[in-house]
Amino acid sequence: MTTLDPAPVPDTVPDAAPTAGPGPAAPSSLVPTLGGRWYTDPGIFAAEQDRILERSWTCVAHAGDLAAPGAYRTVTVGRESIVLVRGRDQGIRAFFNVCRHRGARLCVEPEGQVRRSLQCPYHAWTYDLTGTLIAAPNLTSMPDVDRVSNGLAPVAVREWIGYVWVCVAPDPPSFESDVIGSVITRLGDVESIEHYGIEGLALGRRISYDVAANWKLIVENFMECYHCATIHPELTEVLPEFADGYAAQYFVGHGAEFGEEVQGFTVDGSAGHGRIPGVAEAQDRRYYAITIRPQVFVNLVPDHVIVHRMTPLAPDRTLVEVDWLFLPDVVASGVDLDPSVELFHRVNVQDFDACERTQPAMPSRVYADGGSLVPSEHHIAEFHRWVQDRLAPDHP
Amino acid sequence: MIYACQLTDLPRGGSLRLTDLPGSPPVALFHTEDGELYAVDDTCTHQDASLADGFVEDCAVECPLHAAIFDLRTGEADGMVARFPVRAHRVMIEDGAVHLQLSEAVPYLPPGARRSVAS
Repeated sequence: MTTLDPAPVPDTVPDAAPTAGPGPAAPSSLVPTLGGRWYTDPGIFAAEQDRILERSWTCVAHAGDLAAPGAYRTVTVGRESIVLVRGRDQGIRAFFNVCRHRGARLCVEPEGQVRRSLQCPYHAWTYDLTGTLIAAPNLTSMPDVDRVSNGLAPVAVREWIGYVWVCVAPDPPSFESDVIGSVITRLGDVESIEHYGIEGLALGRRISYDVAANWKLIVENFMECYHCATIHPELTEVLPEFADGYAAQYFVGHGAEFGEEVQGFTVDGSAGHGRIPGVAEAQDRRYYAITIRPQVFVNLVPDHVIVHRMTPLAPDRTLVEVDWLFLPDVVASGVDLDPSVELFHRVNVQDFDACERTQPAMPSRVYADGGSLVPSEHHIAEFHRWVQDRLAPDHP
Repeated sequence: MIYACQLTDLPRGGSLRLTDLPGSPPVALFHTEDGELYAVDDTCTHQDASLADGFVEDCAVECPLHAAIFDLRTGEADGMVARFPVRAHRVMIEDGAVHLQLSEAVPYLPPGARRSVAS
């Protein structure tokens, strides 16, 4: 390995499975996890930024966060800062947040509103909302400067289910197979999510969690429910089958059913709000969960949708922004959303506490070869293989 | 009188930067959304930037660089960002051709542009 490699995969990347003992073993109840270094090693994290976060579609904002032309937000994707801006034509565009002149950060605020242009605060290179260079001091005396090729560097953008997704790679993977495909893998078809009309829902509440844990611990936690009966008393009350330890994500097209006495997906099982009109009879009184790798969780219940977006910031730090979406008239009515929001807010706090309890143990010598997945967690091994495949030097 | 362009080549909302004018720095010609035609000196008097690249609203143009505003009818500066006016020029249309009668006033140019005109 040379030091010129921009994101070296450590040559000592541990295998997921410690070398097995002699002879073929009988199917085991326990399947190994990744070793502890996968959650702490800066080299592995850098490789994940390069090979996973900067090559995948990333969900970065709710379209409603960019309400009017000139509204902008800066977001982090892997190691890159990206600026999202709504144009005067109402389209949302994304650019690397780097002035093409001398590289100054163009937008430093997390969000804001400009009138017509994005202007570098250093030498005032000025770009319109399509990224074209429209002005700079003395630009008129430099007629050879091409205003498009010296404009902001664009990033691929998609809008789907009311969210803005970007990919900073020059050749983005297929959105249909990677993102929509994840939904089909979990729900069995795409119509099942379309029933919720998520793009027409309104943001009722947003809570950000700064979690001192590796992003993969958070993904793994979301994928299994072995912990549910232990740390999620309120959730298990609403979804009694979670006490068995099998998460909805263990199955295809399965929604966890509400308990008989439960009236709604609320912290105390009280009635929630009106069912989203498109939700099918078979989807009523059920909870569905989807992981869209690498950083999105979608939770579907009859009267609202909860979307988790993760931003891995360091091997041991992940920002999680969670949106609770309701029918627009529910949000507009000013009705109390707390009983609905409180249920999954508690689940989030309980989960992230567990992840933060796990993170400090990852460097322990006893966890060097990792731990174990019980049968209700075996599907997590597929996530581990996916991460390892993406980091493999021969991965395209 | 100087020929500028055919009116059909300058749609409403458009602008044109005219260079190589005899004895004059570049001129910006605007066809507003309301259908009016205006011509003023193209170079912002605050710092060298092209007003033809600016934004027109009503009878004013806003410089794209630091948002100095000039009245397109008179060339008056807003006095906030830019202190000196640009010259306003007379625009005439004959048989679909746009002509200019350049102002005979002395143009005010910012330092960078003064140098580039002199050279």
